[in-house]
Amino acid sequence: MLDLLWAPLLACLVLTGMHVYLGLHVLARGVIFVDLALAQVAALGVTVAFLAGHPLQSAAGYWYALAFALAGALLLSLTRVERPRIPQEAVIGVVYAVSAALALLVIDRAPQGAEHVKELLVGGILTVTPGEVIRLALLYAVIGALHVAVRRPLLEISFDPAAAAAGGRALRRWDFVFYVTFAVVVTSSVRVAGVLLVFSYLVVPAAVSALLSRSIGVRLAVGWALGAGVSACGLWASFAWDLPTGATIVASFGALMAAVALALGFAALARGGRAARLEVGVALCAAVAVAGLLLIAAPRMDHHWLDWVERGLPAVELAFLSPAERQAWYDSRDAVARGSAELKRLNTLQEDVRWGRAQLSPEQQERLRQFLAARGEITAGDRFVLETLRGRARERQRYWLGAPLVLAGAAGGLALFVRSRSLRF
Amino acid sequence: MRPAHWGAALVWCAAVLVWGSVPARGGGPIAVVATSTDLKALAEAVGGERVAVEALLPSGQNPHAVDIKPGQLAALRRAALVVRVGLDHEPWLARALALARESAPMPAELDCSRGIALLQGETARVRPGTGEHVHGFGNTHYWLDPENARPITAGLLDALARLAPAERAYFEGRRTEFLRRLDAGIARWQAALAPYRGARIVVVHESWPYFARRFGLDIVAALEPTPGVSPSPAYLASLAARMKEAQVRVVIAEPYANAALVAKVAALSGAREARLASSVGGLPEAADYIALFDVDVARLAEAFRPR
Repeated sequence: MLDLLWAPLLACLVLTGMHVYLGLHVLARGVIFVDLALAQVAALGVTVAFLAGHPLQSAAGYWYALAFALAGALLLSLTRVERPRIPQEAVIGVVYAVSAALALLVIDRAPQGAEHVKELLVGGILTVTPGEVIRLALLYAVIGALHVAVRRPLLEISFDPAAAAAGGRALRRWDFVFYVTFAVVVTSSVRVAGVLLVFSYLVVPAAVSALLSRSIGVRLAVGWALGAGVSACGLWASFAWDLPTGATIVASFGALMAAVALALGFAALARGGRAARLEVGVALCAAVAVAGLLLIAAPRMDHHWLDWVERGLPAVELAFLSPAERQAWYDSRDAVARGSAELKRLNTLQEDVRWGRAQLSPEQQERLRQFLAARGEITAGDRFVLETLRGRARERQRYWLGAPLVLAGAAGGLALFVRSRSLRF
Repeated sequence: MRPAHWGAALVWCAAVLVWGSVPARGGGPIAVVATSTDLKALAEAVGGERVAVEALLPSGQNPHAVDIKPGQLAALRRAALVVRVGLDHEPWLARALALARESAPMPAELDCSRGIALLQGETARVRPGTGEHVHGFGNTHYWLDPENARPITAGLLDALARLAPAERAYFEGRRTEFLRRLDAGIARWQAALAPYRGARIVVVHESWPYFARRFGLDIVAALEPTPGVSPSPAYLASLAARMKEAQVRVVIAEPYANAALVAKVAALSGAREARLASSVGGLPEAADYIALFDVDVARLAEAFRPR
């Protein structure tokens, strides 16, 4: 496992180092989608290079991408004016949409290009090579050093542009410096990690740390720690649960964001006192009532909450079945368990035969294939029996379960609502 | 005039009459639209200069998700014959046809999958635990078995001759000539790959079962069981370990397959990558149907050759 994951992990750490810092700028400027726009412009550059006869992963492709991204950076720094009549996000959005459309128009003239350009934006963090990581680290070290050297004007124009302008800073010029370095970073990162991952590294750690502190130094430290931690967790989850790597890391960032939001929500609840708790109670009661109403209105639709309850407590379903149906339920459940285990075993055997680890004569193989097909159908049939029984139970749960839920939810909600009103006056 | 000449003149007159009675033809070549470059190549092999074939999709484009362009609608509108891969390969075609033809009568349609012995026709339920990429009606990449060109061209001959009965002999002649070249090709390709019969190979996408069966190769796994979704690290690791253990020497990748992924697997497992075109035009050298196999077989043999 480690030999496969250490290069991606190092790449993630390098990305964290650069992007968390740039993310602070992006967040302060309120240009959240600027990296998507620049990445798309860079992809347009690669597309044009492809049409000119350069392979996608070639050096020429990279220089085309960089040239286009720099042009995009110039455009973005020019559109920052003091009292804008339209928000800069509008310009960014238009740049994104138009460059994506232009890339489609260009790629339409080159056979087989579409798949490649898609690949370019999706990236492949899992297949990053150590050489690419080293090149990325060196490049970001240079850019980081540049940002440290001129940190004063750069931070000022991002975090307090009014003061910077009053202090006589040439806003546009420094803006251009910022966007140029940003374009170089995005162009290089997206090649390795894809737009989704780059966007997550840029925005999530910076946003979470901004929720926790005002100091730029603290934000940077917190963001780096979070980025590194989420990268490691995401890579681990991707391996442990057999999931595509890039998407798993992005989802991990989402989980981090959700966890922080929940924690802040609970903190606010604790601070808000009884009134806030009552309001949450009303909302929960309303949810219960709605669930009951849905069960009454459409007993056969998907009631996932009830599925979960019944998985843990089969009695909830069994109580609504006749003795004969109950027997069928037990039989089918055991048959599904047995069938799945056998299918798994035979599939492994088939796999082993295919890989040459086990030997079977062609006739035996054919019999195995047919047996697997038949067994699969039988198990599917048993599953169908369970589903049918569940449907029958739902028809009976409809009123016996749905009506009490509606009543309990409505009564509880009403009581809590009255309580909260009386608390307010 | 001798009686034989009279006979010839009679036939000629009949031909002119029949020619005139065919509705969708203005005397020029028959307008044929093929959904793929492979079917275009085969239609041209049979139809020669008496047909004008357009391929709706360039090779290497994902045939399942298609952005229809006005030019393609225009081609469908002109078409007297639409040649398609069939099965669930072109889910968008019916809609595009309805849109293009409006009230005009539909063109003749040739579903080339008829008369082909399909592989992997099982449903997802019957193949539990194996890849999700299951073609409900069978794997659609049947043109990659050169023997399947026989039923396909037979269907083409039939459909074209129905549109232009007078040209039947011409089409038949061309098909016979094509099959002669095909037979020579099959002998050549079988000979080139004979040393590697029974070899285990890994593919990137499940496009190669017909090809593998024809040339006695044994596909043991697909690198991207779900097209477009990169495999998980655990799958990659176990795949590479198994490939090493089973001494898989070759990974077949389409030209548009994810290069970094294929390189990674090749490096991890010690296998060599063979970039093969799965369609005519997929590689510059694969200009027609025979050339497609010429280049694929040459590249594959090169990848197998011990170094």
